[in-house]
Amino acid sequence: MDTLAHLMAGLTAALSFQNLAFAFVGCMLGTLIGVLPGLGPAAGTAILIPLTFNLDPTGALIMLAAIYYGAMYGGTVTSVLINVPGEAASVITCIDGHEMAKQGRGGTALGIAAIGSFVGGMVATIALIIVAPPLAQIALKFGPPEFFALMLVGLCLITGLGGGSVLAGLIMAILGLLIAMVGIDPVRGAPRFTLGIPSLYDGVGFIPVVMGLFGVAEILLGIQQPRRQIIKADLASLLPSRAEWRRSVGAIGRGTGIGFFLGLIPGVGSIIPTFVAYVFEKRLSKTPERFGHGAIEGVAAPESANNAYANAAMIPLLTLGIPSSPTIAVLMGAFIVNGLTPGPFLFQERPDLVWAVIASFFLGNILLLVLNLPFVGLWARILHLPYPYVCAGTLVFCLIGAYSLEQNVFHIGVMIVCGIIGYGMRRIDMPIAPLVLGLILGPFLEKSLRTSLEMSAGDFSIFLTRPLCLTLLVLAAIVLVASALRLQPRELQEASTS
Amino acid sequence: MPTSGSKALKWGWQVACLCLLGIFVPALVTSLGYSLTDALGPGPGFFPFWLSLIGAVLSAAMLVQVTLAKADESSAIGFALDRRNALRAIGVVIALAAAAALFEPLGYRLTMLAFIIGVLLILGARSPVAIVLTALAGSFGVFHVFYHWLKVPLPIDAFGV
Repeated sequence: MDTLAHLMAGLTAALSFQNLAFAFVGCMLGTLIGVLPGLGPAAGTAILIPLTFNLDPTGALIMLAAIYYGAMYGGTVTSVLINVPGEAASVITCIDGHEMAKQGRGGTALGIAAIGSFVGGMVATIALIIVAPPLAQIALKFGPPEFFALMLVGLCLITGLGGGSVLAGLIMAILGLLIAMVGIDPVRGAPRFTLGIPSLYDGVGFIPVVMGLFGVAEILLGIQQPRRQIIKADLASLLPSRAEWRRSVGAIGRGTGIGFFLGLIPGVGSIIPTFVAYVFEKRLSKTPERFGHGAIEGVAAPESANNAYANAAMIPLLTLGIPSSPTIAVLMGAFIVNGLTPGPFLFQERPDLVWAVIASFFLGNILLLVLNLPFVGLWARILHLPYPYVCAGTLVFCLIGAYSLEQNVFHIGVMIVCGIIGYGMRRIDMPIAPLVLGLILGPFLEKSLRTSLEMSAGDFSIFLTRPLCLTLLVLAAIVLVASALRLQPRELQEASTS
Repeated sequence: MPTSGSKALKWGWQVACLCLLGIFVPALVTSLGYSLTDALGPGPGFFPFWLSLIGAVLSAAMLVQVTLAKADESSAIGFALDRRNALRAIGVVIALAAAAALFEPLGYRLTMLAFIIGVLLILGARSPVAIVLTALAGSFGVFHVFYHWLKVPLPIDAFGV
């Protein structure tokens, strides 16, 4: 009942003209980012943070959340029309979506993707409303040792399930944590690793680092990628035929379920739910040979999973303060920029804000459906925008974002350096996600570790004598060892390496 | 991490491992200068010390693993850099650095006007009208939106531009 009252209050706040406008602008910008090849949701959300610097926190977070799930949908357009995923989660949609476009069914592919995304997003948001408050209540009982262990589990999951080398992932997570140590020590007030540079006393800004690692690095990589030919899609018929509906309904339901449950696990990443949904659908089909040749289920299932994942991934962030992916970490950074710390206490301290943001997910999903079906032609036309202009526009936003955070040119320098590092890491396929997660969780992880040790007067056994903490630490160790030994289900392994 | 791959990729990983060691080892030495423990328990150097130590050991292990990996030239194509595009990428980085240096002395609008024109030319845009219009929109237009509408402070030079 309490939840319902909060939700109603949140809906009232989200339905205000101002917040509705923020959600609308966020959905438009997010879809635009998703549509532009080479600019993923993490980079897109990061470079658009400066737009929200002077908005009230509720409006800012509603807009950034809308940018996030808008970008998750927008990638579909490029997957279908030019066989290039706008973001990683849309990789699998290329297979059947682009085949449908080549057969003159591009409009139907985009239509079912929009409908599947809508269903996935709505169902996941309802589940979020049911799951989040009790989970936040449980998390309120956690002490610093449990939070430390929980963050460690999150980092291990991201390192282990992210694909690639576990050793490299672990090193990147440690590097992220170490970069987070730069600045004034939060407990004692002593400067660390500041090299005598006053701009480093407040630490290395998360936003310039993310803009560099994702925004600038993606631009530098994009320069070297050949442009693809755009298929002129028949967008007249967006709605599937009756037979296509029959095949899609089950796929959308199953995709939603898979996306939601995998979204609850930090580190799974957006690509794995879509891949699992696709493989599951193909195995279940009586005619698996149609997959890869324009099967509508091959678009419906992964797209539903993608949006269900996007909404479900907010649960660990809002209830536990654990970001599931780099994009969610950027959103967490936006919370912190606005003076808010995501986690169970936020439900107690700012229920107005949390519930307005959650309620805005409903409106965002409706807005996305309304925007995406009639405006598919517009998004398709944007694909014709020459890359140099996309590149210049993105860099302008990166420069503004890095500078305006503290009106300091030093942060632009940090962004450029991180851009070069991010480019190098991408070239050799070194994982970036653990670094970003380490960077954002570093201060919280250190604080909870040191507070725990202060509680026990420096005795490490505090982590072993509390049952929940011990369980979480054992879980973290299992995740790491299992990942190192590659003990994952076959679908997850295939998705991790694809 | 490559267990096999082109020589260039292997070289890239080796350089990355050395860079990581170049971060972790100095951090380890520096963290020894901070107190590891104090009256309340762990000190400011406790977390950085252990992170640097573990990071350095793992980086060294990865360097050994990469060095012992086989090199296979058949996979070199994907890693190869196209010279013209590489020069373009370097040009963009130089333009960014120049923009950072001029951002406050010249103000946002003039810096961005020059930056956008420069980046577009570097990336091969050739339509003068489109270049000028984009540069004007990205400099004066964006300034108006951010500075006046969104109240985001952007630098203005001594002449008010």
